[in-house]
Amino acid sequence: MIRKSQLLYLFLFLPIIGFSQTYFLYVASESEDEVAVIKFDGAQGSVDEIITVGYQATEIEGPHGLTLDPSGDFWYVTMAHGNPFGRVYKYATESNKLVDFTELGIFPASMQISPANGMLFCVNFNLHGKMVPSTVSVVDPFSMEELKQIQTGAMPHGSRISPDGLNHFSVAMMSGELFEIDVMTMEISRKLDLDRSLASLNKEPSDAAVDHAAMGHTMNDEAPHQVSHHSAIKPTWVIPHPDGQRVYVAANGKDMILEIDLLKWEVVQTFSTGKGPYNIEITGDGNKMIVSYKTEGTTAIWDLDQGRELAVIKNSRGITHGITVSPDHKYAFVSVEGKGNERGSVDIISLENHELIDVVEVGKQAGGIVFWKVEE
Amino acid sequence: MSTYPYKYQWLLWVMLLGMASNSLAQSFEIVIASDEIEIPSGGDHQILVKAVNTQNQVMPEVNFSFYSSTPQILKVDKMGSITSLKPGEGKVIIIGRMEGMKDYKRSNLWVHVKHSEASDLKILNLPSEVFRGQRIGLKVQLFDEQNHEIINPNLVFESSDIPVASVDVFGNITAHQKGKAIIKVSSGKISTETVIAVKKNPVTAVQLSSNVQEAITGEVVYFEAQAIDNEGDFIATIPFTFSFTGVSESPSEYASGMIKNNGNFVADVPGIYTIVAAFGGREARRTLQVSARNVTEKVQLKGHGSVSNVHTSDLWVWEGLDGRDYCVTGTWGGNGEAYFWDVTDPNQLIPIDTITVDARTINDVKVSEDGKICVISREGASNRKNGLVIIDVSNPKEAAIISTYDEGLTGGVHNVFIYKDHIYALSNSERYDIISIEDPKHPKKVGSFELDEPGHSIHDVWIEDGIAYSSNWAYGVWMVDVGNGIAGGSPSNPKPIANYAYPSGWNHAAFPYHDKKTGKFYVIAGDEAFPNGLNTEDGPTIPAGFLHFIDFTDLEHPVEVAKYEVPGAGSHNLWVEGDLLYVGNYNAGLRVVDLSGDLMGDLFKQGREIAWFLPTDAKGRIPNAPMTWGPQPHKGHVFFTDWNSGLWSVKIDIKKPKNIKVEKR
Repeated sequence: MIRKSQLLYLFLFLPIIGFSQTYFLYVASESEDEVAVIKFDGAQGSVDEIITVGYQATEIEGPHGLTLDPSGDFWYVTMAHGNPFGRVYKYATESNKLVDFTELGIFPASMQISPANGMLFCVNFNLHGKMVPSTVSVVDPFSMEELKQIQTGAMPHGSRISPDGLNHFSVAMMSGELFEIDVMTMEISRKLDLDRSLASLNKEPSDAAVDHAAMGHTMNDEAPHQVSHHSAIKPTWVIPHPDGQRVYVAANGKDMILEIDLLKWEVVQTFSTGKGPYNIEITGDGNKMIVSYKTEGTTAIWDLDQGRELAVIKNSRGITHGITVSPDHKYAFVSVEGKGNERGSVDIISLENHELIDVVEVGKQAGGIVFWKVEE
Repeated sequence: MSTYPYKYQWLLWVMLLGMASNSLAQSFEIVIASDEIEIPSGGDHQILVKAVNTQNQVMPEVNFSFYSSTPQILKVDKMGSITSLKPGEGKVIIIGRMEGMKDYKRSNLWVHVKHSEASDLKILNLPSEVFRGQRIGLKVQLFDEQNHEIINPNLVFESSDIPVASVDVFGNITAHQKGKAIIKVSSGKISTETVIAVKKNPVTAVQLSSNVQEAITGEVVYFEAQAIDNEGDFIATIPFTFSFTGVSESPSEYASGMIKNNGNFVADVPGIYTIVAAFGGREARRTLQVSARNVTEKVQLKGHGSVSNVHTSDLWVWEGLDGRDYCVTGTWGGNGEAYFWDVTDPNQLIPIDTITVDARTINDVKVSEDGKICVISREGASNRKNGLVIIDVSNPKEAAIISTYDEGLTGGVHNVFIYKDHIYALSNSERYDIISIEDPKHPKKVGSFELDEPGHSIHDVWIEDGIAYSSNWAYGVWMVDVGNGIAGGSPSNPKPIANYAYPSGWNHAAFPYHDKKTGKFYVIAGDEAFPNGLNTEDGPTIPAGFLHFIDFTDLEHPVEVAKYEVPGAGSHNLWVEGDLLYVGNYNAGLRVVDLSGDLMGDLFKQGREIAWFLPTDAKGRIPNAPMTWGPQPHKGHVFFTDWNSGLWSVKIDIKKPKNIKVEKR
């Protein structure tokens, strides 16, 4: 028999139980050919499910980029290595079962789906190929057919769509360019030479911005030298601000973040960062910017209004990679690759207290990461 | 308790009104004249599309975008005008959206691009003369006005004089009696015809002979048919049809085998076979007794170097500078380790050293001919800059890294080979680079070979006698002169010699085989396929695929002549020594196959398998799940790696079957 006091306790705690939130996200482990579903209850994270991906059994195909359908019904993962072309796979979120796939270019990486026409835009990173312009693939995610490849720059990365869905942004890591693609026409609308724009902001001669020697990659001997220089900036990521007025670029080679005014179409501000800024995420309210400092294995939280680095949090292991943020702006989930046989991880960071809350170990070389849903 | 301040209620109303107007504004449907159209190849079509609201009123403020899902079949411009490029099925995606709205509506227009009018009908094999009783199948091609071939056309075959020559619905002509007949082929409005002159069959008798009357399974028997005219003279170049029937020794097995148009026959199982050579109603028969090949031998397990913490990849066994025997093995999905073993006593495989590099998989390992240099491949490097590592193995107990090389190889080196001071290293599944290690501290790229084919890809390369044999998945095996001289090639100037591809596109490995007794030259091309996936953590894996035997004796006309397929298993790496084939058959373990004599047909069915060994290990990376990677015979033993259990050595006492006769033809 239940006592009145027990009923009272139940009544008191019911709202707390009822309003507790559980966060779900997907993370890809590039050297494990796995995608993990991560569950986080506000205090502790755990692996909810592991999905083995890929088709070449004894080859590591490298799941790299992850994105979700705007409806939340499907998630997509790019497989970097193929024969030689990579693929994008479509899975149902309800079952985590494979729905379909299509072949893209060499080393397809990050991607996003535009809410304006429903098309998926994915950069073909071509990380290991010749230093020649690569492409952005446009895929119809309903039929999983590649409609078009739009040529951009050398090693395009950081594929993100503007809040209104009308523009796609990517940066070419080796040629140092920011590309804007008109989502509706699927054509390049604007291109910005980031090295020159930064030099202009700093009132330096533009040639000084080009570093031929300091790059991690060198020109392939037989490559047609269509890319005239290696960017000193080495941009690795671009993300539009929710206000639609600006984008932020991770200048990995310069240890800084660039703010580009979309109206002026030029670099208007820079933020000095830690070593090797790689990926960027911005909270939905536009107030905070989270940056992975890949080289030093840390994650930084920035106040965008003040242009101030609020905190730098040491990650659980080396090689910090991607970031996704909860819709309530409370948490950042950061993928950390690790090295060799070391497992990768998702480091869960409080954006309110600026501290590492929990670490969830996943497969080797955790990279692509995307937020899925919140359950009450 | 918090409440919304009264002064902000107007904001709530504005938001609600905004949502409502947004909802109303988005309430439209795309209407197209038809959601499925047919247009001829080369034709145009203007899409008629409009947006209507819930009251069926046209909404001119809706803008449309048009995208072709099949740009190789049709293109569509910004105004919705379709131009068809070639026959096929495609669709146009129509997106309708209003300025300032984030949402959109979508509709698909399915487009069938039909062939234009058929304009050309060709008979490809017009027979010059047909003899009474002869049967010939016509090959016909139909083309449209744009010269696109119409596949599987509706063809009608007619003969003007059926008593002379009839033709069936498939285009097979049978000549019945002397005379002339017009054979007409038509498709719709167009037709073509040819006159068939049926001559008297000059063949009055057929003689059939063979090199043997008794054979064993897998032995190729050469039947020769000769046509004789009514004067008893032989008639040359008669196109005989060969066939066979047979009765198996086993009551539960049917007699099977293969016979070719040149009269070469091979039986799979023991039994009595009757071979028939026929032409124009004349035929001859000859009976052949086939007995079992009886080559089976037992395998003696000698040694096992268990590796249970990580998957094991490739191996290389060599005699070291000190005269002892060593082996290097790679690891898969681990910590970038290569293990060195002393295998001088095959009963005791002793680990002696480990090299660890920044990688997750050391897929391939090779050692130079002089036993001084080892090269290992790197994949899964933490900085995504893969490549290869050159190791001094003069003293394998103290293996030492000499240098690393990643220029142009950062995408991952899956396989390597060392040949005459050069490393052949695969790069990113696209090509192989040729790197001089004359100075191993300073490796230098001197050449590269890459196919110039759309979507080409490469998996492996093996060098022998200055010829590189690469395995290129769908593009098959390529032989490239890298110093042999046959095509004037060199490491810095590789020159392709010959190639052969097969339909499955699973070409994963290749090994040359010169049969000195028959004079034949084969390249054995191995598949790799995992239609049932790969179990990396628990339970067995069931791969697929087989070995293709390609006769490259005539380099310009390679012919696939035989296969070796273990039922329910998949093939992986292989090695040929003498006329013995060693195969790492993944879940079917190590297999040893007799390659003596001519090769034709299904070698497994023919009982050519000499021995097999399943490396089961209860403490393996996946327990008791054989997954044999690759073998290497060395000094009378066979060493092999298993993906789940490490390094093994076995001994097989091969006793050559006495009843195998090898004939050079």
